[in-house]
Amino acid sequence: MERTRRSTIGSLAALGAAGLAGCLDEGIVGSVGERDGEGDAAEGDGSAEGDAPGEGRGPPTADGSRHLAYDLDALLEESLSGGVGQDGIPSIDDPAFAPIGETSLVADAPVFGVVRGGEAKAYPQHVLVHHEIVNDTVGGDRVAVTYCPLTGTAQGFERGETTFGVSGRLVNSNLIMYDRATESWWPQMLATAIDGPMRGETLREFRVVWTTVGEWRAAHPDSRILTDDTGYVRRYENDPYGLYAPLGGYYASEGTLFPALSDPEEGHPKSVVIGARTAGGAVAFDKETLLAERVLSGTLRPSGEAAVAVADPALSTAYVYLNPEGAAVEPDGDGYRVEGNDAGGAVGSEGGVDADDLSLERVLAFDAMWFAWAGFHPDTGFAGEHTGAGYGR
Amino acid sequence: MAAETASPTRAPVAWLSGLVRRTAFAVRASLSRRDGRATLGIVGGVYFVLYSVGLGHLGRRSGSAVRRRAGGGSTPLVDLFVASDPLATATRRVAPFQYEPIALASAGPVEYLFAPVNAAIGVGLALLVGVTLAVSVVAWRGPSACRIGAGAGAVAGVPGLVSGFVCCGPTILLVIGVQASAGLLAALQWFLPLAVASLLVTLLWVGSRVDPEAVRQTGDPTK
Repeated sequence: MERTRRSTIGSLAALGAAGLAGCLDEGIVGSVGERDGEGDAAEGDGSAEGDAPGEGRGPPTADGSRHLAYDLDALLEESLSGGVGQDGIPSIDDPAFAPIGETSLVADAPVFGVVRGGEAKAYPQHVLVHHEIVNDTVGGDRVAVTYCPLTGTAQGFERGETTFGVSGRLVNSNLIMYDRATESWWPQMLATAIDGPMRGETLREFRVVWTTVGEWRAAHPDSRILTDDTGYVRRYENDPYGLYAPLGGYYASEGTLFPALSDPEEGHPKSVVIGARTAGGAVAFDKETLLAERVLSGTLRPSGEAAVAVADPALSTAYVYLNPEGAAVEPDGDGYRVEGNDAGGAVGSEGGVDADDLSLERVLAFDAMWFAWAGFHPDTGFAGEHTGAGYGR
Repeated sequence: MAAETASPTRAPVAWLSGLVRRTAFAVRASLSRRDGRATLGIVGGVYFVLYSVGLGHLGRRSGSAVRRRAGGGSTPLVDLFVASDPLATATRRVAPFQYEPIALASAGPVEYLFAPVNAAIGVGLALLVGVTLAVSVVAWRGPSACRIGAGAGAVAGVPGLVSGFVCCGPTILLVIGVQASAGLLAALQWFLPLAVASLLVTLLWVGSRVDPEAVRQTGDPTK
């Protein structure tokens, strides 16, 4: 199936006479130029060149690795079927977009935003919950924007010549993707293959911002937004797991569907953290605390690397930086000021630099449910106060 | 009740064909009565609805309230999405005994995803449950010698109902608050064939317990 047609029938009486003629829910529009990269290339060790993508080869890989608290065999052993077969949850391979100004979504509907190569795109959570992976091209780069509803994680990966699909298996409740060139298994949160020809390799990642339609539209008015013209027929207005606005179901409850690799001693399992990891360790910042306090310091464990996280109130998100010198970072208007370092980065509207542009080494970060982060990283550093379920606002 | 003439051990084929014949008689006799037909219609309909809800194919429209209605909330009373290649789509397997929907029909507050293979499975299960209960009800209302539990058919249909809920997630576990394990997920995959088998066995058992002549002689009290 490649396309969906919609027929709208005005009344029950007209049902019998109605045909299938109609129009696409929201049309495909041309690409819209926007500002470049948003510092994605600077984001951590995932951007380093490794294998070059090629025809029939797997996705491009990063030179660096991610800290893993479990070895690959243990992760593979702990993987289990999520109840569907390979591609039982179909990825979107031919996505259609509309100008974000034309969307009919409510302002607080969650979306996953990407800015890359001057192009901004938003991927609504209510569409991705039915597909989990969008194989797309953003700013001229072949990428996959992925979402795992059970761990509350939205992450971006470069895909090269291949595409990613949903394997149907999970580990620690997290989506295991597979690449269609080598059929290697890639748990999303780990970005590392646990099985197949590319076992042990690490994907190149980029930042995906978990925000809302309203906030993304205000920040990127020229952005385009994924429509539900996916080529598949689904009840897109029905989330099988729960609700984000208002919060309910799985996203609010303390229970999980599948066993976690380990359980944190405290904290609501579904509270949201901004997690970051390097080759040596991992750290989680409670998102609600971070958005309230704007700056939090933390330590990656077990490596002991110092880190600082700063909030971006405009998108209700945050960025994480390594801070080996322990530089003081303070809010300055809408932006931030790094002590002893007033150079670098774009100047914010009231004098400070933007949250995503501090003159420190940025580490890739993403939102995650606390139980999922702590499950994969039982040794993680943590900063902030544990808060309730939600999505950090 | 008349005794079976063939023995299941000495002449199993003759015994089985006699059982099937007898059951077919009982079904025909039951459905010739208004109470039997009413039971089939009501039970079968309710079962199909529950199965569809369990699959996530039938439910309330706009449950997640993500979409603001253009023009102040006017929503079409009836709406229809159809896949462009329904035939190819219909046979695409999503999960064990679950297939790809080809259309989404909305009417007022309700929407229904139409997956032909699943609709056929649902109708088949609903018919089995409905017929079994129809025969049970007619027998229960008949001579005391033939009384059997009217709930037999319903009990046999439970695995099928549960199998309907075993969808992506599987969200039924969320509802009942049970955490999935590899063993439980593997077991759930067998629920549908288990349901069909248990329904067939129950129907044959119910049929063997009913004397069609007695049912005919009793007549339909509702007529």
